[in-house]
Parts: sequence; structure tokens; C-alpha cells
Amino acid sequence: MEERFLEISDLKKSFGSGEARQEVLRGMDFTVKKGEFCVLLGPSGSGKSTLLNIIGGIDTPDSGYVSINGDKLEDMDEKQLTIYRRKHLGYVFQMYNLIPNLNVKENIEVGAYLSDSPLDVEEVITTLGLQDHKYKYPNQLSGGQQQRVSIGRAVVKNPDILMCDEPTGALDYKTSKEILALIEDCNSKYGSTIIMVTHNEAIKYMADHVIKLRDGVVRHNDINDKKIPASELEW
Amino acid sequence: MRNPLIKRIPKELASDWHKYLVIILFMVIMIGVISGMYVGHDSMLASVAEGRVELKLEDGSFELSDKASPELIEAISTGEMADVRQYFIDEGMKEAKEEVDKAAEDALNEQVTAAIEAQVRAGCEEYGITDEDMIQAQIDAAMEEGFEVALEEARESDEYKDALAEAYDEAYDEVVKAVDEEWDDIAEEYKLNEEGFVPVTVTLYENFYRNEEEDYDNDGTSDATVRVFSSAKEVDLASFLEGEAPDADDEIAIDRMHADNTGVKVGDTITVGGKEFKVVGLLSYVDYLTLHESNTDMMFDAFGFDVAMVTPEAFDSLNARVHYNYAFMYDVKPEDKIEQADWSERFMKSLVTQTLVADNEIKDYLPEYLRQASNFAPSDIEGDSAGTSIFCYILIGVIAFIFAITISNTIDKEASVIGTLRASGYSRGELVVHYMSMPLIVTLIGAVIGNILGYTLFRNTAVFLYYNSYSLPSCELVWSETALIKTTVIPLLLMFFINLFVIVRKLRLSPLKFLRHDLTKTKRAKARRIPAWSFMNRFRLRIMFQNMPNYAILIFGVVFIQIMLCFAFGMPDSLTYYSKKAPEMVFADYQYMLMGYKDEDGNIIETAEPSAEKFSSTNLMYPKATTSMREGMGSGGDESVTVYGIIDGSQYVDIPADLEEGHVYISTAFAAKFDLKTGDTITLNEEYENKSYEFTVDGITDYDGGIAVFMDNDRFNEVFGRKSGEFSGYFSKKEITDIDEQDIAVVITTEDISKVTNQLMHSMGNFIKIFKYALIVLAAALIYLLAKIIIERNERSISMVKILGFKNGEIGALYILPTAMIVTVFSVLGFFAGYFAMLWIFKAFLLQMDGYFAFHMEPLSAVLSVVYLLLGYLFVSVIDYIRIKKIPMDEALKNVE
Repeated sequence: MEERFLEISDLKKSFGSGEARQEVLRGMDFTVKKGEFCVLLGPSGSGKSTLLNIIGGIDTPDSGYVSINGDKLEDMDEKQLTIYRRKHLGYVFQMYNLIPNLNVKENIEVGAYLSDSPLDVEEVITTLGLQDHKYKYPNQLSGGQQQRVSIGRAVVKNPDILMCDEPTGALDYKTSKEILALIEDCNSKYGSTIIMVTHNEAIKYMADHVIKLRDGVVRHNDINDKKIPASELEW
Repeated sequence: MRNPLIKRIPKELASDWHKYLVIILFMVIMIGVISGMYVGHDSMLASVAEGRVELKLEDGSFELSDKASPELIEAISTGEMADVRQYFIDEGMKEAKEEVDKAAEDALNEQVTAAIEAQVRAGCEEYGITDEDMIQAQIDAAMEEGFEVALEEARESDEYKDALAEAYDEAYDEVVKAVDEEWDDIAEEYKLNEEGFVPVTVTLYENFYRNEEEDYDNDGTSDATVRVFSSAKEVDLASFLEGEAPDADDEIAIDRMHADNTGVKVGDTITVGGKEFKVVGLLSYVDYLTLHESNTDMMFDAFGFDVAMVTPEAFDSLNARVHYNYAFMYDVKPEDKIEQADWSERFMKSLVTQTLVADNEIKDYLPEYLRQASNFAPSDIEGDSAGTSIFCYILIGVIAFIFAITISNTIDKEASVIGTLRASGYSRGELVVHYMSMPLIVTLIGAVIGNILGYTLFRNTAVFLYYNSYSLPSCELVWSETALIKTTVIPLLLMFFINLFVIVRKLRLSPLKFLRHDLTKTKRAKARRIPAWSFMNRFRLRIMFQNMPNYAILIFGVVFIQIMLCFAFGMPDSLTYYSKKAPEMVFADYQYMLMGYKDEDGNIIETAEPSAEKFSSTNLMYPKATTSMREGMGSGGDESVTVYGIIDGSQYVDIPADLEEGHVYISTAFAAKFDLKTGDTITLNEEYENKSYEFTVDGITDYDGGIAVFMDNDRFNEVFGRKSGEFSGYFSKKEITDIDEQDIAVVITTEDISKVTNQLMHSMGNFIKIFKYALIVLAAALIYLLAKIIIERNERSISMVKILGFKNGEIGALYILPTAMIVTVFSVLGFFAGYFAMLWIFKAFLLQMDGYFAFHMEPLSAVLSVVYLLLGYLFVSVIDYIRIKKIPMDEALKNVE
């Protein structure tokens, strides 16, 4: 694995001003290697989503920087940031945010369109187990199926980094495990670096790299040598 | 790879088809009508322009009192001025020669008589006769016997001949001297002094006509004046819209529009000049596109005036006097208006001088470019379209805003998706293009279908409307670039920029804000405080606050439509009102304008009619401050003002007797049109001379019939350099029968005033009716779209209150009632806005025209204009209620974050 693929250095971020000022990130430092499955773990308000958004280039830090492959995000203007997201990132949110009047295949094509080297849409559909649903509209799918589509939309781009913000937050235990297995597959099959935000402690066991956050700082930064497959996770 | 987002467009069109159907229909109708108008308009103008060449429209015409001799025709055709000096010398010599001859004859008689008498007396003396009686008897006998011979001998004598020649020479010198002494005046009168006069050669054509009485319903009373031409003429030809030219002597072809107006059809029989004719054709003469009987008529009259064609034999068999009207065509066409005016003036010099030296008389002269009957329609058609396209753009603008609001609501609704797409790397531009495509595609569909209909159905409607107004020739479809630009390019641009503006602003937020549904740029610090009303009222008020931008567009739409409705209701009202008030608007039931105040014998023209009252009048020009949008007769430039001289204690016009010099009264119409007040100073100019008059307004007298100025008649004669006691005509309550018709120039009765409004009503009536109904549909469609936005925006809340247990009726009261209140309040306010806007627009519009009549709206129309709009809304609110009923309860539970 490539060292320092993603570098986070002294990242600070606060919201509000005066008495209402709230420091969400208070000097955060860590690095992630290319192809690593990294889990950002922490309770609500620990700053994990904010951190993810800053890494994703959709939010900006007050100080510190994020660099990918040596390119600092703070040096990029809006256009370059859009290209950065377009070329390197895939996003999966807790809510699936699918386009209601496009079917499964078309929703995945929305992601494919953005990439210079997209994966084969049909193959992704098969990988995701959606071949029987590819002409269905989002409102005809269950939550788990919708999240599969949203993962499909993200991975079809063949992104360097797959950003997942509580991807199982709205799903039941069984479906959650299926989704995690899919993300795991993407990591091993396509070699994408995964950065997943979650408050579910159990998920850390499937990751290569676990970063625990609390009150805006990194409390633990551990490499997991004994990772287990998602299918074996219990919570 | 094509952007997959594009696949949403057809799906969205299909899923919300009723909304888009309304919008597309709306666009199709708007664009179709405008395109049809332009295409009709361009086709019509093209056919008029083509007709001018093909139907050999004259470059001008003149009427002579007698038929022109071949020599005169040839002389006029050369364009050369006649030798007026020689003419006056010849004329002078004719008179002088008579005098010289008479004087010479008298002198000769005297001489011969004296010689014979002297001879007889000498003989008598020789014979010693002294008796005077006998001498006288001898003289008488000698005279009887030898006078004629002696006279003849004397005439033949060289002495006499020399004396006569000498007298002629003397007379000639005197005549020349007299002509030269007065030459400056003569030259001024006939404008002969121009140096370097270049003749304009023309070809003359006989265009004789007779003004006959037409009785189209054959009831024995005359219904109209018909100007009959012979089918053999070679100029100012006719285009046949139905039937054909007359072939037999009892056949006639009449004007198509007159026939439409009076219900005459091909195959009917009408009486013209007491003779029955079968109508075999309906035509449009190229020089009578509007039926102006006289070029000074304010409005054409397709009811009371007609033009017709009969065979030459039938023409000869008619009885009314022949008007020796000649049309002329320049051998080389003038290139522009300046040349037209210049050539016309040069030609007139030739005409005047040649006619003078040919002992004929010009009764009328009219260059074609000033001819109302051939220019009124094209100039009116040209002016027509500006207002309509502005109306169209405002509506497209409204639709664009509706789109912008709909899209803005969609963006709100799809905030998370947009946030995800932006986070995934979709650029703002790609999303802008995506959201822009729907309005542009819809506009394009509307424009394409609209243009197809414009070139077919609506073009025919437009052409029909023109045919309903004017006697136009048949026309063929032409391609109109203006239509394409105005109906496709401009709407697309409007749609593009309005939506671009709104969408770009809306999408300016960061992806994160979209993901968080945080779409307001500024956050309200505190919730708006509202009065402590009942819960439902407060709820309703919150809904209103929440939907402010939607209501703003709704209000704009309502007010806009109300302004249009004010026009649609007010226009016919104003015409009817004007028509009804016409009898009150004239000073007198009869206004006789005389040819001069003295008759042929030099006696002042008097009447025994007790109600008759003398007055004077002249026309001056009042300069308008505004620049005219249109050019041509009666359509701009200066306002023609009638100045009246009124006698003391007049029973027709109420002005004080003791007005100071330079002080006048003006009519209420004059004051209203130009915002004049007592104490203001007005400057009036002579139309053709560089001469101005300044007057102070001393008061305003109640007269809405025209732009007029009043002063004392004596003062009038003084100001305008007329003789004391001179006057122009009589006002009278009854018909005056004791003035010779020859002395009367024109009689104006109340009917002449109503004929203008009748014609306007006929021409515009159908258009206004269509417009009125179109507006109601438009109003309903607009309110439908806007109300739909409000319901859609609140779908989730409506679904939620349904879950909470609110009944459909209560929900309707919450979500429909605020809209209903706003529509009602703003319909009423919109009416006032519309009414005052129309007053202003009408005034601004009339400033471009001559004359004045105020905008008027009947109370019933005012009420109806509001009721119509509310009826449209009632229909929409029923649909809204059904829509609310249909919103499913799980809407609120879907996709909850």
C-alpha cells in the first residue's frame, strides 16, 4: 500500500461565533494509505461527518489541510474541487438520495457519466445483486436495495476513494451486513480506498485502519491486523 | 456518454403532463397567435405591395372640370410647364383686340358716315338745295345705297390698315406691360419662379367615375354612395376575391368589404343609379383598400360608401355626372418619400399651368403617397403588431417566471439529490443545463407547434381580421423572418435568461447546504410574530408568509390579466359611449361649411332658418411634444386644431363676449389630451406657411367632439386677415333648405360622427370578443399553474396534516382560502390598476393619433371584468381541491431524514 495517500494535518473547524462558537475539529492529524479500508468511529458530535465533508471537498477547514497524492485541497478553486470530486471520489450517504424519476440502471449511469474510466454498469448491477431490479424506480425498492443503488452509483465511477457517511444508519442488521459486505467487495475487487464514517463500534473489525474521534480530536489511530469479513460481524 | 440526467426530461413531461400540457397550450396559443399575426401581416403587406405594381396603382390623380383634350393630355404628359406669361398676354390680347376692333369699327363708321354726308351736302349745295329736310332725305338715301361699299373701301385702305396695326401694337405693348406689372403675383400664385425646373414625365390614364346612389336592399331608398368605374380602365385595377368582372351591361362587381358589411352576395341584385344590376363579383380596387369617400374623411366608411365596376356601356348608360378623374404614373418611379414629394410638386406645376392654358379647371389633386384610401390600411397593419408582441413577451415572461418558480421548488425538493450529485462531482454548470432544459424544450415545442399553427390556422384568422377591416386584395402565404424572431428567438431568449438567472442563483449554494436542506441564504433570526388569532387563522397566515414568492407571481399575473380585461371590456365600452355621446358632441345637429360667404353674384349667403347661426373656422396645427411612432397622414406629427370664430351670444358655444385680444377658450378634449389649463399659452401654426399664432387659454368649454379653439368671430376675422363680416358657415338645429347646394362645401351631422365609431366597432368588434374569451382562458390557465405550484410546494405538509387527522375541507380552507383571498383582493385592486393604466395608455396612444376620446368603462363591465377572473379562479380552485384530496398520506413519510 502506498504511504500517505491521504494526509490530514492539523485540521481545525468551528461553527458559529461568540458564545455560540462550537469547535468541531480541534487539530486533527492522520494519514491513510491507498487501498486502505479506513473507519472513522465516534459518537454523535465528534466531528466525523464534518471531517468526511472536508476530505470530500464539500466543506472547508478553518486551518490545517487535506492532501491527496500530495495535492492540497486548500490550493484548489471551486472548479478544481469539482474535478477532484469527479475524478477521485465516490459518495455514499445514510440517505440514498436517488433520482426518483430515473430507474436503477439510469441512477447508476448518473455516476458512470462522471468518470473517464467507469466500470461496466451491467457488471456493477450484477455485483450489487440488482439484476432483477434494474428497470425499477427507487420508490419500488426497499431501503437496502436503494442503498445498493447508491453504492453502485458511487463505485461505478471506479473512484480512488469511496466516502461512506453512515451507509447503514437507516438499515436493519441483516441488510446492514449485506451493504458492508458490498463495500468490502468494492475495496478488494476494485482497490478503492474506503473512508467510512460510522458510530457502530462493530464495524471497526472489518477495517484496515480505525480512527476513533472524540470532541474533535483523534483519540485512537489503530491499524487492524486481524480484520474479519463483514459477514462475520456481530452487534 | 450522454448525460443520463437528460432521461429525466421525457419522464418528467409524462409524469406531470397536465401541467406541461397547460403550459404548452398556453405557449402554442400565444406564439401561434403572434406568429399568425406576423405571417398574416407580412403576407398582407406583401400582397398589398405586389398589388401596387400588378394592379397598376397610380402615382397620383387629378380631376378636371371638363374632359381633357388630347392636346392637354399630351402637354401634361411632358411634365413641362406651360408658358403662362404668353397665356396671360394672349388672354389680354383677346380682350384688347376686341376693344381695338370695336374702337376702330366705330371710328371707321363715323368717318364713312361723315364722308358720305359731306359728299351729299356738297352735291346739294351745287344744285342749290337748301331745304334741310330734303338734304337729310338725300343723305339717308346715299347712306342706304353706298354706306356698306364705302365702309368696305375704307377698310381696305392702307391708311386704315396701318392705323389698326398700330393700335394692335399699342394694345399689345399695354397688355405686356400689364402682365409684367402683375407677373410677380402670378408667378407666386403658380410657383413659376423656380430656377432650373426639371419636368417629370408621366403617363396619364382616364379613371373616370360617377358617384351614384346605391340601394342594396332594393327598397327604393338610397343606402350608400357608390363610385362606379368602367371595367375598361387601364389603371388602379381590381383584384377579385369572389366571382368575376362584369361582362354584360346589367352586371356589376362591388367592393368585397362593403358587400360583407351590407350582406350583399354574388348573385344578388342591387339598384345603382335607378338601374338594377346583378352582382357578379366582389373586388378590391388597389386604390381603395379602405373605403374613404374623400381624402379628408377621418375614418373610412364601408357601410355608406362603395366602389364598383361595370361595363363601359353600362357606365355610359348611368346618369350621374362624370367625374373627369385622371390617374398619372411617373415614367420613372421616385425612389423615396422625399423624391415622391418633390416630384409631386413639380408635376403639379405642370398640371396647373397646362390646365390653365387649356382653359380647363382642376377640381382635385392628390398624389398617391397622401392618399388615405390606399395608405391607411398598410400603415395601420404595420402599426398593429407592436402592441401585440409586447403583450406576448409579458406573457412569456410570466410563463418563464412560473417555470423558474416551479424549478426553484423542484430544486428545493431535490436538494439532497443535488447535494449528492454535486458531492459526486457534477459541476454546477451541468446541473444548470439540466434544469434549464425543461423550460427551453417546452418553449421550443410551443414555438414549433405555435409556428405551424401560425402559418396555417392563426394566419388565416389574422388575415380574416384584416379582411374584416379593410378591402384588401387576396393574399398568398409568405415566409416571415420577423415572425420567427419574435415568436421563437425572443421567447426562447426570455425563457433562457429568466430561468438562468433564477436557477444560477438557486444553485449557487454549496453541495453541503443542499445535503443539509439548508437552502436559505440568510437565516431569519426569529420566527415572525403574528397576532393572537385562532389557530386556523394563524396557520393560514404562516402558509401565506411561507409562500410569499409564489403569491408575488400570482399577484403579478392577476393584475396583468386584469389590465388586459380592462382593455377588452373598456374598448367596446368607450366606442359605444362615444357613439352614444356623439349627438351631444357636435355643437349643432347640422354644421354647414360654405364654399365662400358670398354666392356667385357676390351676395352674402343668408338663410331664413331661425336656428341658424354664423361661425368661422380654420385649421391650424398644434405641435406635439412627443415623437410619433408612425408616419403618414393623420398618424402623427402635429395635431390638427380647428379654430372657431363664434358670434356674440351664441346659442351653440358658450364663451364670454369680452375675451381680450390673444385670449381664447379651448375644448375639454383639447385640454384633456394635452393637459392644458386656464392661463396656459398655446402656439398654433399654419400647416403650409411659416406663420404662428400665440393664444392664452382663458377658459375651457365643454366640447369633447374635437380638438378646438374658440374666439369671437370679429376677432377671428381680424386675426386671420379676413374681411369684416366674413364667416365660414352656419350651425343649425334643423336642415337648411334655402341655401343653394353649389354654395355648400360640406354638411356635418351627428351621423358623420357615429359612422366613425360604427366602423371602428365593426372592425375591432370580433377581435375584442376573441381577445376577451382568450383572456378568461389565459387567466384560468395562469392561476391554475400558480395555484398548482403552491399546492405542490406544500404537498408534504398537506400529507402530514392529513396524517394528523385534518379533514380535506379543513385542509382546503388552509391552503385554498389564502389563495382565494389573494386572488379576490388583487382582482379588485388589479381592476383599479388596470383602469388607471388604460386611462394612461389610451391617452398616450391617442397622442400618436389625431383627435381625442377618453377611455370609458361601464360599471357593469367593471364588475364583469372582476367576476370573469374570479370565475376562472373558481374553476381552478375546484381542481385544487381535487388535487388536495388526492395527495397520499405516505407522501409525508417518504424519504424522511
